[in-house]
Amino acid sequence: MEVRLVLTKNDLAKYPFSPQAAEYIKLLDLKIENLANPELKPILDRAESRMEEALLNNPPEVSYRARDEDVEIPSFPVAVMMAAGTNNDYVRRRYALAEARRAYNLLRLEDERKILDITSSVKWRIKKPKRTVGSRGYNFALYFVDFLENAKYFREKEWKLINKAMEDGWVHLTKQEVARLLQEEVRKHVEGKLQVRVRSMLPENVTERVDRLVKVYASRIGKVRFEELPKDAVNAAFPPCIRQLYDAAAAGRHLSHIGRFALVSFLLRVGIPPEKVIDLFRSSADFNERMTRYQVEHIAGARGSRTRYNPPRCDTLRTHGVCPGTDDLCKNLRSPLTYYRRKLRMIKTAVAAGQT
Amino acid sequence: MNAKTRAFVRDRFLEFYKKESYRIGAPSLIERREFGILLFKGEVMIRHKGFSDVEELRSFLARNVPLHAYYSTAYYESPEEKMESKGWLGADLYFDIDADHVPTDCGKVHDRWTCKGCGFSGKGVAPETCPACEGRSFDEKTWPCEVCLGSAKQETFKLVEMLTGDFGFALDDVMVSFSGHRGYHVHVENEEIRKLDSMARKEMVDYITGTGLEAGFHGLKGAFNRRGMLTGPRLVDLGWRGRIARGTYEFLRDAKRAELLRLGLKKRAVDALIDDRALILKSWDSGGPWNLVKGVGPESWKSIVQHGLKSQSAMVDTVVTTDVHRLIRLTNTLHGKSGLMKVAFPTSEMEEFDPFKEAIAFKEGEATIVVEEAPQFRLGEEAFGPFKNRRVELPMAAAMLLLCKGLAEVAE
Repeated sequence: MEVRLVLTKNDLAKYPFSPQAAEYIKLLDLKIENLANPELKPILDRAESRMEEALLNNPPEVSYRARDEDVEIPSFPVAVMMAAGTNNDYVRRRYALAEARRAYNLLRLEDERKILDITSSVKWRIKKPKRTVGSRGYNFALYFVDFLENAKYFREKEWKLINKAMEDGWVHLTKQEVARLLQEEVRKHVEGKLQVRVRSMLPENVTERVDRLVKVYASRIGKVRFEELPKDAVNAAFPPCIRQLYDAAAAGRHLSHIGRFALVSFLLRVGIPPEKVIDLFRSSADFNERMTRYQVEHIAGARGSRTRYNPPRCDTLRTHGVCPGTDDLCKNLRSPLTYYRRKLRMIKTAVAAGQT
Repeated sequence: MNAKTRAFVRDRFLEFYKKESYRIGAPSLIERREFGILLFKGEVMIRHKGFSDVEELRSFLARNVPLHAYYSTAYYESPEEKMESKGWLGADLYFDIDADHVPTDCGKVHDRWTCKGCGFSGKGVAPETCPACEGRSFDEKTWPCEVCLGSAKQETFKLVEMLTGDFGFALDDVMVSFSGHRGYHVHVENEEIRKLDSMARKEMVDYITGTGLEAGFHGLKGAFNRRGMLTGPRLVDLGWRGRIARGTYEFLRDAKRAELLRLGLKKRAVDALIDDRALILKSWDSGGPWNLVKGVGPESWKSIVQHGLKSQSAMVDTVVTTDVHRLIRLTNTLHGKSGLMKVAFPTSEMEEFDPFKEAIAFKEGEATIVVEEAPQFRLGEEAFGPFKNRRVELPMAAAMLLLCKGLAEVAE
């Protein structure tokens, strides 16, 4: 397949994450230590406003300023450095998402030719489809590996590979869908760049700006923390899958490997002590204390890789046949833990209202 | 298996790994793979082994005489390190189709189960609870039967068709093998998919097993159109569109009344479906619409489709494919439960491949054994059994099969 990459300066301003934009920026010879230079103030201002937009807009999105390429293009790597310099994961994630949404909204307005150029520039294997499928018009065919690398994070049924038309490894997509996948690609790309430790390298005038931003939006940042799970687990709030696994284990029935893993990791996560989790398996005919203890402690993160495991998400449980079918609350949720948190809140509200 | 039998089997395995180890080839990028073996003694697993060339691997096998020999689908920076410090570089794509997970026409009458609690035993697939003591734990003895393996092969055909058609893998990238016991494996070696993580592979598994499919995304309209027509995918369509149409077609063609009623369809609709069956199928042959039967609307069609797709999907073991650190059996080594070899072959030879001929490892000599009970079976061109409490002299391969299956002991 011939790859024709003709990106204009205007394109580079719209899609500053592309390798071509990076090349262009390299030619500008922009150095971190020079950011204190007054000549570069417009770039620094725009970089700050990119971050500000990410923190202020809801949903987060950076704007596009047309006809100002000389500032718009270099302000992107500077903003990336500033976001990295916050050392704040929430700010980093939000900034990456805001740049990604900017790319999405710009890309979906482009013509087919341009979309092929931009997406090829991020090394996607993409082309026009060979033939039409059904009555729907698909303008693009993306190699399934590039599709999966991005669509695997989506939970909607329409994004499942099985619900796509695929031939010879090429997944048929609409323009809108390609733009959405590119958003994901950009999000990952920017998030990757934000993990570098740059703070100590930033000139003082830049760190001042960074700190001011974090401070101004601190109240907003604080609000989104995840609520911790309560110390005492409440069986009544278990989702159907865990309920079934729990009952099976208590009755000494055999659980599949993944079923056992889901149950143990769930119970540990909702605060049941490892000792009690081990006890649950005692009625099993082939109970082996040493083995069970080893497995439970491994999942709890007390052994081996020291990772504390989360229970698998709903779609994984579905793949492995552990999901017994959903109840009303399951719909729109993606993890047994989310179900538990939500149900617990409902139970507590009901108790408070005296209607148990 | 008593001590004498164990020693006898081990000696045969030892001879094999001394004389026949030249057959064992090096997996691609051998120095990046982890190897593991299960020893006869205490059934202990030795893992995290690495080899820089095939000679080293062969002499290791001859020295240790494994009951089972495995290697990783994954490639590692340092295969001999602990799991968390190996440095995962990628993994091949691997599928396991096991007769245990595929419904078969033989009804698995050759399998036996024994309750661990009370010793009560029976034939076929083990029940949920023991009829005698209500225990829930069983010892199961399965048998590599021709019918079972035939069904597993059918699933393998469907899988390979999806891999080379829908996914576009070159035939050269796809290798099929007989596991040496109860199933087939499909191995895809292709640089493109090496880096895919477990989540991405899960999507591939869902595609292959038909999990999460919604016919609405494949052309089955959710409502009648202005002309009162309901359009859907056609038999000749590509990918899952065609599979939906063909699966539904076959299901309708063969469905019994009771099956349709079980789907929750109204009695009148079922009557209409059965009465007009020939008409519907004829219309579909020429790409006609889906709404030829009164009372069967979009929702009913959707539940019929869900049944139809079972015949079109391939029943692969979901855990194996999504595990990117999996150890798989090494080709041309012995399967400890059968004394047969794992043998690989290109997809073009799938049709003619005869596991009970190609996988025979022990071709010389005879052995006298005492068989407790064994169904009739065939190895090569020769048929054996059934046996019950009998002392027999059998060709080595047949004797080894029964010994490894734990159905016989070496005669005193």
